[in-house]
Amino acid sequence: MDNAIIRVLLVDDDEMIRDCVSAYLEDEGFCVHSAASGEEALELITSLRPVVCISDMRLPGILGDEFIIKAHALSPATGYLLHTGMLYSLSDELRDIGMTSDAVLLKPIHDLSKLVNKIKHIAVAGRSV
Amino acid sequence: MPIKPGEIFFKSESRYRMLVENSCDIIFSLDTDGNFTYISPAWEKILGHVPSEVVGHNFRDYMHPDDQKGCAETIANAVRTGKMGEFTYRIRHVDGSWRWHTFRGTPHVDENGVLSIIGVAHDVTERLRIEEMMAHTEKMIMVSGMAAGMAHEINNPLGAILQHAQNIERRVSADIPANQKAAAEVGVSLDLVRGYLEKRGVFAFIGHIRTAGIRASEIISQMLYFSSRGESGVVNVDLTAILERVVGYAATDYDMKKKYAFRSIEVVREYAAEPVFVDIALQEMEQVLLNILKNAAQAIAASEMHREPRITLRTGLSNDMAQLEIEDNGPGMDEATRLRIFEPFFTTKEVGVGTGLGLSVAYAIVTKGHHGQIEVQSRQGEGSCFVVKLPVQGRA
Repeated sequence: MDNAIIRVLLVDDDEMIRDCVSAYLEDEGFCVHSAASGEEALELITSLRPVVCISDMRLPGILGDEFIIKAHALSPATGYLLHTGMLYSLSDELRDIGMTSDAVLLKPIHDLSKLVNKIKHIAVAGRSV
Repeated sequence: MPIKPGEIFFKSESRYRMLVENSCDIIFSLDTDGNFTYISPAWEKILGHVPSEVVGHNFRDYMHPDDQKGCAETIANAVRTGKMGEFTYRIRHVDGSWRWHTFRGTPHVDENGVLSIIGVAHDVTERLRIEEMMAHTEKMIMVSGMAAGMAHEINNPLGAILQHAQNIERRVSADIPANQKAAAEVGVSLDLVRGYLEKRGVFAFIGHIRTAGIRASEIISQMLYFSSRGESGVVNVDLTAILERVVGYAATDYDMKKKYAFRSIEVVREYAAEPVFVDIALQEMEQVLLNILKNAAQAIAASEMHREPRITLRTGLSNDMAQLEIEDNGPGMDEATRLRIFEPFFTTKEVGVGTGLGLSVAYAIVTKGHHGQIEVQSRQGEGSCFVVKLPVQGRA
């Protein structure tokens, strides 16, 4: 599969994280968009319909898990990954939309090629890991 | 019939005697040299010695050496000012242990003009133990909140360091078409750029940045572990079996073998005759015990004691709790160290030898993860004993 057709939406309020993760994913040829809050990402998600959406947990407005629930309602075909700096156990609501502990990425990701593999896996499987 | 004056004296004397002899607190008198001249029967109930054997002895014969000076000063001060003095000190129980007592004493001059100190002492050991435990718990809650906050704040910048280092490596890679394109646009050869960076060791520097970042991130993840708890399967196992597994790991651990000569340490097993089953997250508890064992081996290795190194392992039941002990005959620790031993980043080891996280992670796993207790008893020059208590969950 050509990575260029895989749209990725990255949600993180930290510009440094948006920059370094997008730089890597762009080098891999993905089509990367980013948003600094859940609210901003919700506005993008219907028009963008990303294959994968990677969201930070601690966001300035709605939190990452709440954002994913709302985004899933708008774009159910998107696979969601939670990128968090804290140990996190998935809530029942997130499990209900098909997320598993494989979809939780602990910050900092030491090697971004692992993220690339997850994105490709979701793209091939059609949905959440 | 009228009561004679002598009779009143006799009655009031016997009443006071009864009060003194039935008091739950110890009532005593000391002469100005600190020798006991009277001790009420409560002494025997509280400290175990027969009062008649204590009378005539000096208070210093029973008091902890570190507390004697303060006590003598309190007595001298009471004598000088004529006012009541109060002092808290450790006193020897007949079983050899120290008990904390508080006494309040007043100078008294009898009808013959002889000055003495009359005092009341009561046992505050349990109260002090609870106060210490509460202060400790409060401190650990605060520290664990700080650890979680810090870990979270550090993870993003650490991510940027690690990931940008990776980005730099990739942006000079010949495999990415965009790199070739940009190089052509500015008129340089990517191969020459790579050759230069290689020659000047820049790739190695970038590698070091990543290695250092990963090391920092591992410390942060241990801190997160201290402040919250990962999910892991709970199993019902016998304490003896876990201890044996951990001793097995310790024997093959690189640091234990090379740095602390674990094989030369005699391991004494004083296990309970019956198995003691507990519900535990196996990997977590193994980490706890390995951390304690490592700490014991390190303490022994660092000491200059000239005795055969020994670690004693015990299992058993105590007040409906499963209990295990890991005791070493290393140098022990002072009270200030003992009180701080479970704090994150508290270490007595040299910089680079320990992060000071091992025992704090052990503390978090036992108390938060397993609703148990962990404490350490220590005597300087004699060794330390870590005691882990876990709720008993019946037998498998």
